Amino acid sequence: MSTAHQKLERHSLGFAMMILMVASIGGIVEIAPLFTIENTVEEVEGMRPYTPLELAGRDIYVREGCYACHSQMIRTLRSDVERYGHYSLAAESMYDHPFQWGSKRTGPDLARIGGKYSDDWHVAHLEAPRELVPGSVMPGYAFLSETRLSTGHLPAALKALSRAGVPYTDAQIENAEKDAVWQADFEQNFEGELQESYGANVQVRDFDGQPGRLTEMDALVAYLQMLGTLVDFDSLNLEEVNR
Amino acid sequence: MAVREKDPVSGTELTGHEWDGIKEMDTPVPRASRWALWISIAVSVLYWILYPSFPLVSEYARGVLGYSSRAEVTAAVAEADAGREQAFAPFATGDIEALAADASLEARYGASISKLYADNCAACHTGSLKGQPGFPSLADGHWLWSGTPEEIEYTIRYGINALHDETRIAQMLAFGADGMIEKPQVKEVTEFVLSLSGQEHDAAAAEAGSVVFEENCASCHGDDGRGGYENGAPDLGDGHWIYGGSRDDIFQSVYYGRQGVMPAWEGRLSDAQIRMLTLYLLWNAEDAPS
Repeated sequence: MSTAHQKLERHSLGFAMMILMVASIGGIVEIAPLFTIENTVEEVEGMRPYTPLELAGRDIYVREGCYACHSQMIRTLRSDVERYGHYSLAAESMYDHPFQWGSKRTGPDLARIGGKYSDDWHVAHLEAPRELVPGSVMPGYAFLSETRLSTGHLPAALKALSRAGVPYTDAQIENAEKDAVWQADFEQNFEGELQESYGANVQVRDFDGQPGRLTEMDALVAYLQMLGTLVDFDSLNLEEVNR
Repeated sequence: MAVREKDPVSGTELTGHEWDGIKEMDTPVPRASRWALWISIAVSVLYWILYPSFPLVSEYARGVLGYSSRAEVTAAVAEADAGREQAFAPFATGDIEALAADASLEARYGASISKLYADNCAACHTGSLKGQPGFPSLADGHWLWSGTPEEIEYTIRYGINALHDETRIAQMLAFGADGMIEKPQVKEVTEFVLSLSGQEHDAAAAEAGSVVFEENCASCHGDDGRGGYENGAPDLGDGHWIYGGSRDDIFQSVYYGRQGVMPAWEGRLSDAQIRMLTLYLLWNAEDAPS
């Protein structure tokens, strides 16, 4: 054995071939499963891509580093499920690029925060967390209410995601800017159009308490209020998704 | 290959490399380490066979043990639920009126339910139940939708202005911003509302405001401004305010409107938990002046 290896070590071409072979075994084991990864994603009802406003909110979530303290992954542990709700499904992050599972919780998990608090609460809490939750160590984000949401990049953002496999239609990409404004419209004039385009579970209203003004707070609250609300768990057969 | 030179002291083979008279020994990896390596490789292969692992061509590898972390947690939660059902047996079924009449429950369950309250309700209504600006007090005995057990239970279950189909709807319109009444009239009606709760006010403006009130506000808040349980309109004369009772606060409410939201808890909390919280509120609001 040792003599065979000594021989190999002395043949540069043969040795290079062996290195290549061993390294590609490692590569295949890591890469090949990704080609059939869809097999591990449950088929659920209600999942849809983010609306442009929610996506803008998600971008703010990432920009502000919320993931550093908040996870979005309810693990299959009793303590997690009892505190936060149904364990997270793979399908719930299938349109996330990148996912926001997180690796550490300083604040609570946000995977099912949608609908737990009112918009007013979220706005007041984001502006001054300790006013509502004494002892909280979360920083304040009052500037989000002051900052107009820039929507110019949204068509490009949707297009980029569609290249990564998120099923946005051409019309959705084209209307991204308009859709973002419509979703935060306090008169809810275009609720029908948005729900027809994205699905019945799109929430349309003024999120930041400033009617007529589209701010980053609108986008972030719209994103938080839809988190974990999409999947229709009543129609889900738990036996089928057990793994 | 030629027999290699050995180190005269330890008897270990040398590699044949030599630097300035220093020769390198070819010491093999200790046997224990080699065994540990091979055993850990074998164990990992065993795990790969026994437990769910990575995606295959048409399905993921389920593993021969049929283990499922999801089935496990579902069973663990069901077991805990069964335990809780026993521990909180009185709340499992039953009529909320009868539960409210049972005075023995508070001493037995109050401390446990306070945790449930802290986890779910305190973020808005505060740990002391006294509320904060924008979020009503639950302790003062003043209720928007009546303080009967059924109505409180209904509000917790379906919320107010929430996403649930059965939710209660209450909208204070933006009378000023939406142009229903002019700004001077908003100021007049503000004076009138101040007068209702016996606060310092401009009597002449309040007099004019009473007409505005009758035409615009009385349909929900009542002719006397004492509110009504049918539509959740608050009593304007009791000195208890959700959004503040100063001149500025009242002006804001009339001019820009208010649409407070209480989330619907159906689905997030069990029926028994909703009943527990209903009773918890009744227990803690009891002492308040009505």
